[in-house]
Amino acid sequence: MKILIIEDEKPLSDAIVEYLDGEGHLCEVVYNFQDAVEKIELYLYDCMVVDINLPDGSGLDLIRLLKKKAIPGGIIVVSARNSLDNRIEGLEIGADHYLTKPFHLAELNAHLKSIHRRISYNGSNELILNEIKLIPDEHRAFVLDKELVLTKKEYELLMFFISNKNKVITKAGLAEHLWGDYMDSADSYDFIYTHIKNLRRELLKKGCNDYIKTIYGLGYKFDLT
Amino acid sequence: MRLLTKTTLNLLSISLFIYLFGVIAFYYSLRIQVDSNVNKEMEKRKSNIDRQMKEAHSSVAQPPNQNEMVMVKPVEKAAIADRFNDTLIYNREEQRYQLFRQLGFSETVSNQAYDIRIFKSLEETDTLIIRIITIMTVLVILLIIALLVVNRYSSRLVWSVFYDTVGKINRYDLNTHEDFALQDSDVKEFADLNRVLKTMTERIKNDYLNLKEYTENASHEIQTPLAVINSKLELLLQSGEMEEKQYKTLADAYEASIRLSKYNSTLILLAKIENKQFPESKKVFPEAIFKELLDNLDDLIHDKKIEVVKHIVPDVTLQMNPYLAEMLIVNLVKNAVRHNVKGGKLILEVNEGFIQISNSGLKIPLDENLLFKRFYKSSASPESLGLGLSIVQKICELYGFKVSYQFDEGLHRLRVSF
Repeated sequence: MKILIIEDEKPLSDAIVEYLDGEGHLCEVVYNFQDAVEKIELYLYDCMVVDINLPDGSGLDLIRLLKKKAIPGGIIVVSARNSLDNRIEGLEIGADHYLTKPFHLAELNAHLKSIHRRISYNGSNELILNEIKLIPDEHRAFVLDKELVLTKKEYELLMFFISNKNKVITKAGLAEHLWGDYMDSADSYDFIYTHIKNLRRELLKKGCNDYIKTIYGLGYKFDLT
Repeated sequence: MRLLTKTTLNLLSISLFIYLFGVIAFYYSLRIQVDSNVNKEMEKRKSNIDRQMKEAHSSVAQPPNQNEMVMVKPVEKAAIADRFNDTLIYNREEQRYQLFRQLGFSETVSNQAYDIRIFKSLEETDTLIIRIITIMTVLVILLIIALLVVNRYSSRLVWSVFYDTVGKINRYDLNTHEDFALQDSDVKEFADLNRVLKTMTERIKNDYLNLKEYTENASHEIQTPLAVINSKLELLLQSGEMEEKQYKTLADAYEASIRLSKYNSTLILLAKIENKQFPESKKVFPEAIFKELLDNLDDLIHDKKIEVVKHIVPDVTLQMNPYLAEMLIVNLVKNAVRHNVKGGKLILEVNEGFIQISNSGLKIPLDENLLFKRFYKSSASPESLGLGLSIVQKICELYGFKVSYQFDEGLHRLRVSF
């Protein structure tokens, strides 16, 4: 997938590129509004990660421009402004997701994956990873063609793991993905443990390899290597 | 009470008071005048009678008109002085009593004492007095009505500038960036008021915009480096094999940085609520918010085996910012779940006029003064930010809701009345 990252904070855009490296994406980075406009007029991207506060313009204007010119591609807004107005405005003018800084790279990656799935598979939307098969539209998961019995949270967990396979995912990142602002992260760690325990048990029961590795109280890794 | 009503009432009560006194005084002075006139006439009549009696020996001429009667009665002894007084006499023709003024005196003619009384009807003068007073009353009432109408009308005209100003201040919203245009007035006081208000709002607006800019900048400036720290730490985690000790160090740094960003965004939220930067307002259904919230807190509630009792009236609505409504309810419930005990109780009540959350927890009442303080946390949950109830209180302040705490029957009870 070809991704354009428009983010003026160089260390942050570097981190994004580095995280996405090895996911088979082609990432390009620009640091201001003007360069972004040039890029989108010259090339087509599958997805754009747009920061709202750019030194020479607003990311929202960039999205408007994209929509006006009917340039296809997914849009993920990354903003330090966590106000509802901005969020609603961003989504209303055509962004697919809105992430508030600081965000977890795993979360950004999961959103990119979902956009990737949307544009790569039309109709039969299946995600196959070794013996695991997911049908995201129906929220169903299979191991060796046997359906897994999962709760909503366990399914979301599996999806998140697969989107971020081979990466260390922190508990905080998992908590935010599963509960958002509803639960304080410290409260939720025990539940993450419970959900992961159940998910792992279900996967093993259906004959799946044990991919979920615990990383020293820090987080987990869906390790396919 | 409106100023106009107040002044009108004052004016009315004073004029009625003066009028009542005036009428009474007027009546009595007229009476005195009339009586003295009648007395004089009767005295004239008396000397007339004296003369006639002395000349004609006890034959008295008939009174010259019907309003006058003269009674002559022989008596043993003559009275000494003349007596004036009022008396009622029955009129047979008209079958009613009529008011007369009488003058009684004695006369001795040829050694025979006579008691003589002259009666003079007061009927006509009385009618006159009443008529005069009636006309006066009508005139005064008309005058008062005219005064009130004119006063009201002209006041309306004069005060319209003032009411316009009050209305504009009332509707004024810093967030709308509307110009604060006030009417000109030729009344000096109102012109002064408007001028002062204008400079004041101008200043407040500037301060407000500065503050707003500052919070936005602060948010941006702090969140961005935090985003860098977090993402770099997350990257570092991916860098391959590390020792457990290193992972542990990384994990602590990562946690702390996430905590910091949560503090930051919560404090910014509090500042935004204080600055009233949530102008949007619409109908909010608490029931829907509770439903979603309970879904999301399901794990926590199940884990603590908390018994949830819901008394939620579905049609209750709140007119407020939807995001703040959610923040309000989420923080109340999160607080009640977090501080609950295993096998505890959580009672959610929503009804016309209030939302009430009761939960079991510590067996002792909490200090209400500390409860809403920023960064106040009970020793039982050191991980919490200690800002949840501050948010609740700020939102309540913004909308004029009353939030109260109560501890009874082992339940901590937070009630938001609106």
